[in-house]
Amino acid sequence: MTELGNLALAIALILAVYSIFANIYGARRNAPDFVVSARHALWSMCAMVTIAVVVLWVALLRSDFSLEYVASYSSSTLPTVYKITALWAGQQGSLLLWTWLLAIFTSVAAFQNRRRNPETTPYALAVLAGVSIFFLLMLNFVTRPFDLLATIPAEGSDLNPLLQNYWMAIHPPSLYTGYVSASVPFAFGAAALITGKLDDGWIRSTRRWAIFSWFFLTLGNLFGARWAYEVLGWGGYWAWDPVENAAFMPWLVMTAYLHSVMIQERKDMLKVWNLSLIGLAFGLTLFGTFITRSGVISSVHSFTQSGLGPYFLSFLIAATLAYTGLLIFRSKQLRSPAEFESYLSREAAFLFNNLILVGITFAVFWGTIFPVLSEAVRGVKITVGPPFFNRVNAPLALGLVFLTGIGPLIAWRRTSADNLIRSFATPVVIGVAAGIVTAAAGLRQWYVLTAFSLAAFVLGTVLVEFRRGMKARRHMMSESRPRALVNLVAKNNRRYGGYVIHVGLIVAFIGVVGSSFFRTEVKKSVHSGDSFTIGSYTLRFLGFTQLDTPHVVSATARVEVLGADGREITVMTPAKLFYVRAQQPATEVAIRSTPLSDLYLVLAGIDDGGETATFEVFLTPLVFWLWAGGLLMVLGTVIVMWPNVRERAAIAAAMSRSSTAAARELADSAAPGSD
Amino acid sequence: MNIRPRFFIGAGLIILAIGYLIGNAMRSTSEYYLTVAEVAARQSELGGQSLRVAGQVKPGTIEWDPNTLTLKFEIVPIPDLNAAGEPVKPVVATEPVTFRVVAAGEPKPDMFAAGRDVIVEGNLGAGGVITATQVMTSCASKYKPKRSQ
Repeated sequence: MTELGNLALAIALILAVYSIFANIYGARRNAPDFVVSARHALWSMCAMVTIAVVVLWVALLRSDFSLEYVASYSSSTLPTVYKITALWAGQQGSLLLWTWLLAIFTSVAAFQNRRRNPETTPYALAVLAGVSIFFLLMLNFVTRPFDLLATIPAEGSDLNPLLQNYWMAIHPPSLYTGYVSASVPFAFGAAALITGKLDDGWIRSTRRWAIFSWFFLTLGNLFGARWAYEVLGWGGYWAWDPVENAAFMPWLVMTAYLHSVMIQERKDMLKVWNLSLIGLAFGLTLFGTFITRSGVISSVHSFTQSGLGPYFLSFLIAATLAYTGLLIFRSKQLRSPAEFESYLSREAAFLFNNLILVGITFAVFWGTIFPVLSEAVRGVKITVGPPFFNRVNAPLALGLVFLTGIGPLIAWRRTSADNLIRSFATPVVIGVAAGIVTAAAGLRQWYVLTAFSLAAFVLGTVLVEFRRGMKARRHMMSESRPRALVNLVAKNNRRYGGYVIHVGLIVAFIGVVGSSFFRTEVKKSVHSGDSFTIGSYTLRFLGFTQLDTPHVVSATARVEVLGADGREITVMTPAKLFYVRAQQPATEVAIRSTPLSDLYLVLAGIDDGGETATFEVFLTPLVFWLWAGGLLMVLGTVIVMWPNVRERAAIAAAMSRSSTAAARELADSAAPGSD
Repeated sequence: MNIRPRFFIGAGLIILAIGYLIGNAMRSTSEYYLTVAEVAARQSELGGQSLRVAGQVKPGTIEWDPNTLTLKFEIVPIPDLNAAGEPVKPVVATEPVTFRVVAAGEPKPDMFAAGRDVIVEGNLGAGGVITATQVMTSCASKYKPKRSQ
């Protein structure tokens, strides 16, 4: 079996190399046969990598401990679902998953473009094959997933207990999907640079990829935060750890990209900027893997460290140099004739939103690599912790929130004072009112007041937009209110889906502000029967329940929760676990979540032979809204990505008239912001 | 009509503001990240500064009082490992540098035990006692913070 895995990876590498040459030769010599052959090679490569993945999965499911990977990350008592997720628990498996996703996305892109973009597609596929080659080289020669052990152990050393969790099962695949799918727009951008076809064709043909990537980056970050919240047991969800930052930075850059491409599509500006952003996004996905895997920067999440660092760094530097070289080479052709006309225009709002997003990215990058830099330059390691990131990003977040409200409502080119007043009068009133209510409620920190006012302002702008759109429909089509709402969103899914994403972002932002500013914490050692209070809750420790299984031994504390009126609300059961195979303790947090606040209970210690329990309790207001907002963002993205039937039909009709120009015309008219 | 320069002013202001925020935050939040040996070498200049120290828990020095949530122990340098993962014996046998760590008000981390690698965050006080705000344990290459900030 394992020979099959190794063989499949070797063949995949050969096919990837072949497809580069066939693609480039086919494109340069105008030999379509070679381009077709290259495409088939990529599909076969995908099949080979799939075989390798299946082989590893089978080995994990059969607990074949002759494989070093299986012995290191699984055990016979590991629940089946975690045997499956163990595929991406270790380095070799993670890289294999990465390569697999890349192979799948490359194949899909090859299929989508089998008749489209004949000049650029071969080069884009060659770039994607080039990226595959790097990963396949790693898998074939540096970090091999199918290496065997000299002596077969009777039992595996088990999956890290921290990873035996639902969120950790789905977090890495989501994040990787987001990371890897960013390669497709990058490859088409690079192809545009190589071929000199520098119009916005590459953006249009990869727009869905960009949104798809953003969608999964959002999910990946949310799942990761949720995992940290439920598993790490410190009451928070984000610690600005290097690996968290590595997942956050591509998200920031992709967010900037999704906004700035609208300016290019609309105004034919910012060509260099867009090409740079997608290059940066791609580079940051590699950088993310580099810092996760290299151990250069110590992190909570570096579950594996290895000598992969230099390879990744070399590839990253080579890719950056090549791409920058291309940008410089084409710089003359990339000049835009158009100019910004006014500060009071949508393109200006988008430009500033981009600057802030990239600024946040830079600040996060700087804080992440500073220990390494300071050691290299001054010979002493200096770190910056969460306070650094919070201090820099908190004001920038306010600016971003403000622009989230301005951008969608302000007109392209320039806006008249009249227009401004009409669009923003109501939202400003809502924002000010929210500020007054916040202050009246006794919250006087300037940041909280500003944040809540701005958030209300943005929600107000979206409200105004929805109302305006519905009103128009009700007038023109005489539809009922709910009908008008549904049709409004369905017929303009990109635009209104975008608004839903904005609302989600603002709701999540409220959750972040609330949980950061108003968290309270109590630490207490108590005997069974004793009680203590946090906020309006009274907690009484009732005692322990012991549970032994071959996989895990646990002690669960039963804690009765009483409300302000002294009535019992619930019994919470935080636990201490001990994973037998991994020989590792772990903590299971108990959370009682309400829209107002989360009661978060950690069993921090057991002493005096089970007589005393130490609890760490957090009362975190509004954190519920972070997850709710995240869910809304996901929903909004689904609306944006939903195939628009009308638009599809129109494009298909145009295609059948065999006029691609007409199809593009229509695709243009369906683009966001064009209404 | 070319209005571009005005945009450079706006963009420049944003970039300057971001630069200022970063610089300002760096000054007020950075802390040294040192090994036990480095702390020993720089002891005189570190007094009162916040720092992170990587070291190993010296066996037999752990005192844990669950009632006051006070953890006391001593840290020693993490021994260098050879390729096989065994500690390398120093050429010249010397008494290893030791610092006393006192962490109050925090629960004991899950994996805390004698001989474990830890990262201690806190201040170096008089007499070489580190008053810790946070003790993170590491197991092989895995760090698990008990608490952030």
